[in-house]
Amino acid sequence: MENTKVRNLSHSPRRIIGSIFGTGFFAALCAIIVFPVLAGLLASFRPGTELIRRGLAIDFNPKTMTLANYAYLFGGNADSKKYFMWYRNSLVITIVSVVVTLLICYFVAYGLTMYDYKLKNFLFTLVLATMMVPFEILMLPMYKEIIKLGLIDTYTGVIITGVVNASTVFFFRQYLSGLPKELLSAARIDGANEYYISVKIILPLAKPAFASMGILSAMGTWNAILWPLLVLKGAEKFTLPIGLNTLLTPYGNNYDVLIAGSMFGILPIFIIFLLFQKYIIDGMTAGAVKG
Amino acid sequence: MKGKKFVYSQKVAPYVFVVPFILSFAIFWIYPLITAFTMSFQDIGAIDSEWIGFKNYTKLLKDKVFLIAVANSAKYMFFTLVLLIPFPMLFAVLMDSNVVKAKGVWKALLYMPALTSVVISGTLFRLMFTEYKTGQMNLITQALGLGTYKWLKNGWSGMLALLILACWRWTGVNMLYFLSGLKAIDTSLYEAADIDGATPVQKFFYVTLPLLKPTTIYVLTISVYAGLAMFLESYMLWAGNSSPNNIGLTIVGYLYKRGIEKNNMGYACAVGVVLLIVALIINFTQLILNGTFKKEED
Amino acid sequence: MKKKYVGVLLSVAMVASLLAGCGSGAADGAAAADAGADAAVEATEEAAEEVAEAAEGEAEAAEEEIPTSTFGDANGTHLEMWTFVELHGQHYGKMAEIWNEQNPDRTIEITCTTYPYGDMHTKLLTSLEAGTGAPDICDVEVGQYPNVVAGLDKWLVPLDSAAEPYMATMVPARMQTYQGSDGHYYGAPYHVGATAMYYNVAAMAEAMGISNDEVIAKIDSVVTWDDYVKLGEEYKAAIGADDKYWTSVDTGGVDWLWIAMAEYGDDWTGGFEGPANVKLDSVKKMLTMQQDWLKSGLAMISPDGHVDLEAGFQNIMDHNIVSFPKALWFMSRFTNYMPEEKGNWYIAKCPVFEAGQKCSVGIGGTGTVVTQQSQAKDLAAEFLCWAKMSDEGEQNIWDTLGFDVCNTAQWSDDAFAHDDNNQFNQYFINYPYDVLNEIGMDNIGKISVVAISPTINEYMCTTTLNEVLEDPDYSVDDALQECQDAVDMEQ
Repeated sequence: MENTKVRNLSHSPRRIIGSIFGTGFFAALCAIIVFPVLAGLLASFRPGTELIRRGLAIDFNPKTMTLANYAYLFGGNADSKKYFMWYRNSLVITIVSVVVTLLICYFVAYGLTMYDYKLKNFLFTLVLATMMVPFEILMLPMYKEIIKLGLIDTYTGVIITGVVNASTVFFFRQYLSGLPKELLSAARIDGANEYYISVKIILPLAKPAFASMGILSAMGTWNAILWPLLVLKGAEKFTLPIGLNTLLTPYGNNYDVLIAGSMFGILPIFIIFLLFQKYIIDGMTAGAVKG
Repeated sequence: MKGKKFVYSQKVAPYVFVVPFILSFAIFWIYPLITAFTMSFQDIGAIDSEWIGFKNYTKLLKDKVFLIAVANSAKYMFFTLVLLIPFPMLFAVLMDSNVVKAKGVWKALLYMPALTSVVISGTLFRLMFTEYKTGQMNLITQALGLGTYKWLKNGWSGMLALLILACWRWTGVNMLYFLSGLKAIDTSLYEAADIDGATPVQKFFYVTLPLLKPTTIYVLTISVYAGLAMFLESYMLWAGNSSPNNIGLTIVGYLYKRGIEKNNMGYACAVGVVLLIVALIINFTQLILNGTFKKEED
Repeated sequence: MKKKYVGVLLSVAMVASLLAGCGSGAADGAAAADAGADAAVEATEEAAEEVAEAAEGEAEAAEEEIPTSTFGDANGTHLEMWTFVELHGQHYGKMAEIWNEQNPDRTIEITCTTYPYGDMHTKLLTSLEAGTGAPDICDVEVGQYPNVVAGLDKWLVPLDSAAEPYMATMVPARMQTYQGSDGHYYGAPYHVGATAMYYNVAAMAEAMGISNDEVIAKIDSVVTWDDYVKLGEEYKAAIGADDKYWTSVDTGGVDWLWIAMAEYGDDWTGGFEGPANVKLDSVKKMLTMQQDWLKSGLAMISPDGHVDLEAGFQNIMDHNIVSFPKALWFMSRFTNYMPEEKGNWYIAKCPVFEAGQKCSVGIGGTGTVVTQQSQAKDLAAEFLCWAKMSDEGEQNIWDTLGFDVCNTAQWSDDAFAHDDNNQFNQYFINYPYDVLNEIGMDNIGKISVVAISPTINEYMCTTTLNEVLEDPDYSVDDALQECQDAVDMEQ
């Protein structure tokens, strides 16, 4: 970042102390934050009975550690096949849904930010309102509708109701409203049409927003359960969270597979995070604005 | 050709952009919203339903348990606003500065909790907050010589557990919002501030904070609703929807308890409508005060 | 930079299409966005559909590899079955194979789908209300049962005639639990869930310095709660430790109270006619007795509310308690989660307040229903009742699910009840079915599950039990009155 470079040109001792404190602060924060994840990770390397016997014991006693849960998960048995079937289903739904959602929400937000017109605030109010209705009261009528549209038991049915996601639109809107309006007038003077501007000029500037919404939206879709479950029938179409949740029952929980399966289930979203997060860094660089 | 010109005009373009929303709203939202609203005035039975006017609402407002749920949700919302807006913002600013090394590592680690499914994180936290001696919280109190404590049976500690779970999951995410918000700030403004000899604190208050406002408003708005609508965390922490003396009961938890679990959809819808109204009032007051609906002055 | 960004989107889209085995769909969708917003909607919707279809197509192509949950004869009548416990589905799968052997002219094919517990019930109710989408056969957990049975024969198929051949020997209390308000039977039970007292004989023998057999003799002589308390005091005196208790009482479950009600023949729900009344002498007696135990140090409060949770298992394994009442299905918790306790535990009848009372009650459970949306209602009902009540069915339920079966004809069958290969017969000191026979089918009380049940359970577990047990000086009468007030609001 340019601004930070300007602020600190010299390698003064003050700066070194600053970075020790700054880095140390995040190291400490992360140590606390990572603790439960670590506990889960450790539990995934132990038999389920260990978890029940000792709780979330944080120790590395090799005697109690085992690869059995993962061996089972990757073992090619019926459960492992099912697991990866769900995994793949979740990947398909997540990737398609994220791409479609981001593009649509960007353009909707663009339409709600870059122009002044009568219905603008009304439409924006509607967008916000859809964000604040608890889904539980909509699920019955929405389910009936999806049946009428013939989308029951299809991935399209799972994805389509969420492609215009209010909070994603809202985030893009807030992001776009922070961009200088001169960009638009300058482009119009150059003869660019409205759609060209939205795609070729503004969209690249919204990269940080795309990246963070991509991560968020992937996370939401990856972990979604209630709506996919209502729409989908049959274990062949299940997503990973639906499948994993079948391991928690009033008749006892299968912790062996559940924890190992969930821990391995973090991986795709983590990769998406790593892919996207670097685009948050070089977003609206000074160059783009100053032209 | 005329048609093309029409579509390309500055007057029509915004409508073209929002068409997907209008379509999706018309197809997927209007009918369910109206149905849910109508159902809230009905007694929906398995065999037949009957129109009962405001009875669901009057019953709701008389129910002490609902008032407990509202109080819990409101408390939770308030504390999440206090904890999950200023701190992630400061963390983001700090992260964005050059005093932090190995940023990628910290960001990735801070984001990890949000990736973990609620089912697993809820189970992990339940085991950490168990009143039995093997829970991590009790290991700490025992090490301090305080003995074990029933974390999930007392109001304050139950709320504390919920808030720790919330902060654990969302600090990284909110930091991410602020980080991308910081990127929208024109860096020349900092340069100008430097030339004027502004201190880092001054730069934060006079440049960063005002220009981060759109992001802050966003985080505030979604946090208000997310706080009021919290349910899953409580459900996982108490391994169900029943907590001692309802210390973990939230509005949506109440909706489940009295609506979905008893298949009383009319009542569930009334709770949902009340939640919608409360969330709308809080958020629109806040948004209007923040000038979100004001026309842009050029 | 813009190119780089589009590149990312494209590559993500490519991954999507690769995964789905479809070359162009999603990529088209991404590229088409340039053409304008609404074009993007169409294209992406198409892309989504294509990808979804492609995925479906591939799923079909790879069918042999994908583990199937469909059993039986592909040419037979197809039945769809939903459950929330995978083992239950496998039970029907196995039963379908046997059924087809026995009924070659009426073969069936059954697809069993396991859904997450809470959501399966939501999905079932949603599809029953919508009038479409429900399966032929569905498991319903007893706590959720009132919602489903509310639809009576508009939603569900009465099982009366299909169950008729087995009724004479089925535990009546269990069949009644799944009756509708019109008196028809709508659900078929898996198990009795009879409550019994579990005792840690090994720990007691060690503490009291006597042999296992002597301990068992002492346990067998326990008839009333007074006897139970006396034995507890003896144990407590022998062990002489403040943090070791005789039993634990629940703040998060009402099992103890149902035992008390069964003993006096009470029912706080009032049945279908109502009204519910929680201010029962049996309930008061049990709660007052538990308060006394807490005050005298005989009992502790179950960590985290009841024994059927991680902390509860730890408490048992740490020998902090050596006896507790629980339904017989709790045996599987021992075998699954507490292998180290093998050989230590003995099962006995629950004590009673007054000799001669009923001493057990059927707790928990899952009733399986046939929905009116089924295309083969009669066949589904007949198969279901056969799979859950016949000799073949009960044998498989005991072997694979480990439940105490409802058909009492099996209880006294030596080959069935005393099979030494059975894991529960191996794990416990005595044979569980001997305990059931000793109790007798008519001495098992019934739990009514009606519309008001969730309200009572909820208020008890959130408020009442916490009040009277966390503070043993709290007035039981006051607590029950508060509960009654809350219940009255709902009826």
